[in-house]
Amino acid sequence: MDELELLKKDWQKNNKDYPKLSYNDIYKMILKKSSSIVKWIFVISLLEFVFWGFISFAVKDTEVMERFESYNAENIMTPLTIVGYAILAYFFYRFFMNYRTISVTDNAKILMENILKTRRTVKQYVAFNLIFLFISTFVVLGIQFKKDDQIVSIIDNAATNGELFKFYAVTILVTLLVLVAITLIFLGFYYLIYGILLKRLNKNYRELKKLEV
Amino acid sequence: MNKELEHNFVELLEKHQNIIHKVCRIYTNNYDAHNDLFQEITIQLWRAYPKFRGDSKFSTWMYRVGLNTAITLYRKSKRRISTQSYDEVQFKIKAEDYDDTEEQQLKLLYKAVHHLNDIEKALVFLYLEDKNYKEISETMGISEVNARVKMNRIKTKLKTILNP
Repeated sequence: MDELELLKKDWQKNNKDYPKLSYNDIYKMILKKSSSIVKWIFVISLLEFVFWGFISFAVKDTEVMERFESYNAENIMTPLTIVGYAILAYFFYRFFMNYRTISVTDNAKILMENILKTRRTVKQYVAFNLIFLFISTFVVLGIQFKKDDQIVSIIDNAATNGELFKFYAVTILVTLLVLVAITLIFLGFYYLIYGILLKRLNKNYRELKKLEV
Repeated sequence: MNKELEHNFVELLEKHQNIIHKVCRIYTNNYDAHNDLFQEITIQLWRAYPKFRGDSKFSTWMYRVGLNTAITLYRKSKRRISTQSYDEVQFKIKAEDYDDTEEQQLKLLYKAVHHLNDIEKALVFLYLEDKNYKEISETMGISEVNARVKMNRIKTKLKTILNP
């Protein structure tokens, strides 16, 4: 006999060997909280939106920003801020809409796709933030080179000593290194959190996709 | 209204609970893990219940939610200390007409099934539950042909494990 048929025969025979939970046992269960990965993805994503929102608020009232206001660079900073918020709103809307499509009653493949799509939105948002961080840092640096009195005098000094190129090179390189370090910390963090959370889902999704080839 | 919904749901689940136990049987190999997964499936079923229209059978609907929870949503809990295996405790393999070789084979088969990956387990589970390929393909989101091909591969795989 086919091995699986043998197993099937036994499987269907063993129906009565399972534990029998009472009405009350089951009732207690439905009051408990889920610990599914969808819940975790939702919580972590919300934290990410809060985190980046918080950063932009926190930066607003710092000394650096106050000094920055004296440069009269509103024509650059105001559009950057507005674009930042508009994009945050867009991503949040998309995240929420994707999240709502996740339904445990879909077939396995669609369910997995919807979860991965929701996750991807947050990933794109974080990527956007990192790119935005790079751009705004260099815009700020550019403005400072031109308008910050302290820096302008350093540049003048460097120019008279013939070290202008060195000054620019060192400043830009250091800024770049700091940004790269920040990016790496973030990527490491994501790799760890989502790596653990989505390892099984990714594996199973790949396995399902493989069946289609 | 909410109380009534709760009551209906718990009553239906009590009646059909074996389906969840069977999903847990395939995907876990000890007691605590079984209970853990059982609970998560129950919670997911309860959450989805308000949208359950009754146009599909409650049991059919349970297969889908149960498997989806097991292969997609479930996070293994850390509080699993007990390593007591099923076969030692409760789900003893019983061959009615006691047949030593058959029992031995069944033991090996159950062990082999536990070594399959999550998707293969889902297919085997639906097969053991006597679902046809149409239902299998609809539950998993793959084509019927691919479900058949995969099933044949699993059969070969099991055969090789049993007769190396």
